[in-house]
Amino acid sequence: MRKIDIACIIDDDPIFVFGVKKIMELIGFCESVMVFRNGNEALNNLKAIISAHEKLPDVILLDLNMPILDGWQFLDEFIKIPCKKKIMIYIVSSSVDPEDTLKAKSYERVSDYIVKPVTVQKLKDILSDIQEVS
Amino acid sequence: MKEGQKILGSSLMGKEENYLKKELYSLIKKDSGLFDFLQEAALDGLWFWDLKEPENEWMNAKFWTTLGYDPNQMPHKASSWQDIIFSEDLKHVYANFAKHSEDPSCPYDQIVRYRHKLGHTVWIRCRGIILRDDYGKPTKMLGAHTDITEIKEKEEELKLKSAFFKQVIDGTDLGTWQWNVKTGETIFNERWAEIIGYSLEELKPISINTWMNHADPRDLEKSNALLQDHFSGKTPVYECEARMLHRHGYYIWVLDKGKVVSWDKDGNPEWMVGSHQEITDNKKDYERNKSFIQQAPTAIAMFDEEMKYLAASQEWFNVFKINDTDIIGKSYYSVLPEIGNRWKTSHEKCLQGEVIKNNEEQIKNVDGSTQWLSWEFSPWYTYENEVGGVIIHMSDITKIKREEELKSLLAVAEDQNKRLRNFAHIVSHNLKSHSGNFEMLLDLFVQENPGIEDDEIIKLFKTASEHLSETITHLNEVVLMNTSVDENLTVLNLNEAIDKTMESVSALAIENNVTIKNEVGTDARILGIPAYLDSILLNFITNGIRYRSDHRDSYVILSSYTETGYTVLCVEDNGLGIDLKKHRSKLFGMYKTFHNNKEARGIGLFITKNQVEAMGGKIEVESEVDKGTIFKIYMKHEEN
Repeated sequence: MRKIDIACIIDDDPIFVFGVKKIMELIGFCESVMVFRNGNEALNNLKAIISAHEKLPDVILLDLNMPILDGWQFLDEFIKIPCKKKIMIYIVSSSVDPEDTLKAKSYERVSDYIVKPVTVQKLKDILSDIQEVS
Repeated sequence: MKEGQKILGSSLMGKEENYLKKELYSLIKKDSGLFDFLQEAALDGLWFWDLKEPENEWMNAKFWTTLGYDPNQMPHKASSWQDIIFSEDLKHVYANFAKHSEDPSCPYDQIVRYRHKLGHTVWIRCRGIILRDDYGKPTKMLGAHTDITEIKEKEEELKLKSAFFKQVIDGTDLGTWQWNVKTGETIFNERWAEIIGYSLEELKPISINTWMNHADPRDLEKSNALLQDHFSGKTPVYECEARMLHRHGYYIWVLDKGKVVSWDKDGNPEWMVGSHQEITDNKKDYERNKSFIQQAPTAIAMFDEEMKYLAASQEWFNVFKINDTDIIGKSYYSVLPEIGNRWKTSHEKCLQGEVIKNNEEQIKNVDGSTQWLSWEFSPWYTYENEVGGVIIHMSDITKIKREEELKSLLAVAEDQNKRLRNFAHIVSHNLKSHSGNFEMLLDLFVQENPGIEDDEIIKLFKTASEHLSETITHLNEVVLMNTSVDENLTVLNLNEAIDKTMESVSALAIENNVTIKNEVGTDARILGIPAYLDSILLNFITNGIRYRSDHRDSYVILSSYTETGYTVLCVEDNGLGIDLKKHRSKLFGMYKTFHNNKEARGIGLFITKNQVEAMGGKIEVESEVDKGTIFKIYMKHEEN
């Protein structure tokens, strides 16, 4: 089982971030974690990483409901940036609104839509997904 | 002279019966002073002409004073008057003279004009007689003048006046009539005949029957009544609108007006004069207005200056609940005493030319009900541009007002609904995040502390967390339920859907010893949403299992039938039943439970009902405690 190098969490809820990081530790999800508190922060930092040719995350867990730039707005901007590395993007949200799940499906770059809460099992599923793809 | 005297005598002394006359004649012969008096007092001029010496003519003093000249300065010559007579009249004088001198039986009598010294015309009746010799040859001529200027002037004046009246009558296009009420003798003018398409000549012989025969019998009756009113003094003038048959076969309208101008000694009317004015166009306009008003879809009525009805629409009768529709000619105030009097001053103002309106006025009826009226009073104008009366337009806006109230209520409800949805959405979403965190943290805690999952408090924590999540999931389901899903309905096979649900609950059914029977026909189809239908079926079947009675073999039977546009699914069980008397109103409410069942959440029926309604259906329920329950789920038939 190969570990993921960098995982990126974009979420404004510190409890969620704490929980997810814990679970990641527990199951050995990745080497390191990158956390941004909203879409804007994430976008700026990721842009900087790309232009500095530094290491990009392998997987992004993206929340939808966030201040400044929400998940959708981040997606719209992010997919415009040319990037050689294939980054798996998972939307992780509390929303069970069918509108959101349908919208998520319309983005080619979005691998899956995960409804909170995130459990050990769900993260393990993601991990195996990524390992299958890579 | 003898012969002349003879002639004179024959004309003046034909009857010799009176002695005084005889005496006067003999006195005149004796005393010339008497003759002087006569010619001065009785005549306006006397002349005696010598026909043998035509230049010589004697004229008395009066002759000249009548014409404004001083007799002393005027020579006794024929030329002196020939200069002041009107030259065209002088021609007549000569002509008549010639006739008379030839034939004595042809009288010399004419009217001539003289120019008075002051310039005006003096009209003189000039009579004369020729005195002849024994051979009948004219020798002298005696003449007398009578000043008829005054009469002539009157005559001229009259002529002028009658010409003036003729002009006036012709100008107004009035037909005129004169009628002797007693004899029936009747005189019309040409226009009278022309109005009905004839000439006077063609109507001859003319009598009062000429009128009777051409007037419309319906109006003749009315006319006669009005005439009697006038004869008896009730009305100062006779006035009547009547139809007359035109030569070309159609009816025209005339305004017939008249007045009695002379009465006999017994006080009966004798001569009456009057006029006919054609008012067909006015009448047609009026009739058009009338029929327009009668057929107007709103409440509208037309009144004259005395607020008497000229016309009213059907809707008018409806709005004011007037049963007797024969109101033409009746007063507004007598027909609607209650409502009418309140608006009296407004009507008066309107008759002065003001337009008065009120867009909404609340009216309390005698029976206690409330009516909302929107009205407008506007004056209408005659051809003379005077206010002829009032047109009242009224709409009963009670319904609209009620609808407005309902609409505003609906808007409030919609607004509240929207806010509620919004609220529910935010609450459920945020709650979900928090409960999600709870679950996640608990999950982590157990993972990090192996063995702790057996701790009682942690166990309860987990249950509480699960229930919280479950509640929020239900809440979300309710919130997300789309109310307008009509377009998304698809045809679903009811039988197959039931089979599928039965499979998924089979373990539960076996465990609880409940028999489930699908008696729905294999061809039963409905219009619905697959997920909703599954949820509905699952809910009813699990309810049937959950609320079974332990005292008997339990069953849940599903069957169906069709009913006007619906496929009705019946879910029948022989379970605990529901006390509908107590619970019917809250049966489908949120978080209502009716049994002491630990698993009951009180959300199932609420969601189910919403789902059924979202698919355009409804639910009915029959139940008896400890006997069982039948739910009838009406769903749209596939053919809709």
